[in-house]
Amino acid sequence: MVVAALGMRETGGAAIYELYRWATSPFHPGPSRAAMLQSSYAQELQQRLVELESQNRSLRQVVEGDAVPLAAGTPAAVIGRSAGDWWQQIIISRGSSDGIDADDIVTGPGGLIGRVVAVSPHSSRVLLVSDPTSRVGARVSRSRATGYIRGEMGQQVVMEFFDKIPDVKVGDVVTTSAYSQLFPQDIPIGRVVDLDLSKSPAPEVTVELTSPLNIVEWVTVIPFEPKSVEIPAVDAPASQEIIPNRAAEDNLAP
Amino acid sequence: MTPARTSSLALRRRYRWLNLAVVIGSALICVMLLPMRLPGMVLLGVGPSWLLIWLVAWSVQRTSVEGAIAGFILGLVQDGLTGYFPTHTLGLTLAGFLTARIQKQRFIQEDFVSVAIIVFAMTVIAQTMMALQISAHQLIISSSPYPSLPEIWLQHQRIALSSAILSSLWAPAVYYPLSRWWAHYEQVMTPPGG
Repeated sequence: MVVAALGMRETGGAAIYELYRWATSPFHPGPSRAAMLQSSYAQELQQRLVELESQNRSLRQVVEGDAVPLAAGTPAAVIGRSAGDWWQQIIISRGSSDGIDADDIVTGPGGLIGRVVAVSPHSSRVLLVSDPTSRVGARVSRSRATGYIRGEMGQQVVMEFFDKIPDVKVGDVVTTSAYSQLFPQDIPIGRVVDLDLSKSPAPEVTVELTSPLNIVEWVTVIPFEPKSVEIPAVDAPASQEIIPNRAAEDNLAP
Repeated sequence: MTPARTSSLALRRRYRWLNLAVVIGSALICVMLLPMRLPGMVLLGVGPSWLLIWLVAWSVQRTSVEGAIAGFILGLVQDGLTGYFPTHTLGLTLAGFLTARIQKQRFIQEDFVSVAIIVFAMTVIAQTMMALQISAHQLIISSSPYPSLPEIWLQHQRIALSSAILSSLWAPAVYYPLSRWWAHYEQVMTPPGG
């Protein structure tokens, strides 16, 4: 019994999650109706966004050279929540047989959701950005002030800055940073809702996540190769030069 | 050996296997309920501790060693489902041990209300063990990813209270069928005239 339980622990409960997925399969959400439900206005905005993104990409190409595009994602349904109360995790309906590996990035409506931490053949476990042990390199998209985000077990997370006096204000959009070793850059994370710049040792702000983690039903899993970049020291000078493409050039060999 | 005697032996053997199936099957159902969040099963984002309810139902009628072993095994399984740290084994082993102790000393009569109360207390104890582990990690290791102590214990309040309330409310759903089965099982297994 103990040996079986130890085996269960070593495999990350793979057998149980497989069984769980099979037992709950009649209740999984059907094909995504999100596209059908979206208003035409939202669709129009999306189309414009695609247009702007492609323009942006071509302009960037002129200025900075080729960027590595994100690989296509795998859609997956959320079939469960964390099995322990001290973790912020979700269980999704795709696993290693669908090409999902540990460390893949999970995004959903509203932006970043988390990272795959364990896979079984047909399900995987995702550590959400709101978990206290989760760390995401982030930056303020307006001013490019960089820092990292740590979870607080809720819809709001805390962003700590590397600079002593970061350029940030309420309402700023926060995205993943080019310094992040674990996440591709420019995935939206959330919006700044509260400032505490006098905080020691590093100034921090509260960020409201844009993806509704507690009600999300469908996610997209993006494969991602971890890259090695230098992480700036905490006491780095205020004017950090961020050259997003350098990091990408260095390693991201597909 | 008389035919009646052989048939009763065969019956007992069959019941022993059946009991094993019921024990493992019911524990498995509780494990599978853990990742589920059905309506009426969530309070402040926290669900009931199904494994702890099962453990209390198991330990109430057994010795403290049996309770502790069951708690350890269930703790390992739940660790596999979540993560290795903080480990569930400590809290669940302690809960299994204490539940068996309480019953042994006949502090509490065995009925739904007292079982619900035991589940409430054991959930609080198990969640406190988790919070203690996180606090120790935070104090000992300087690069600990966990938040500061006041935040941990604020989370502990939220998690322990809502989990304890939900668990004690759902306790009869697990306890009643299991205790009925085990009472029936004992009746079949006691030798005639014994």
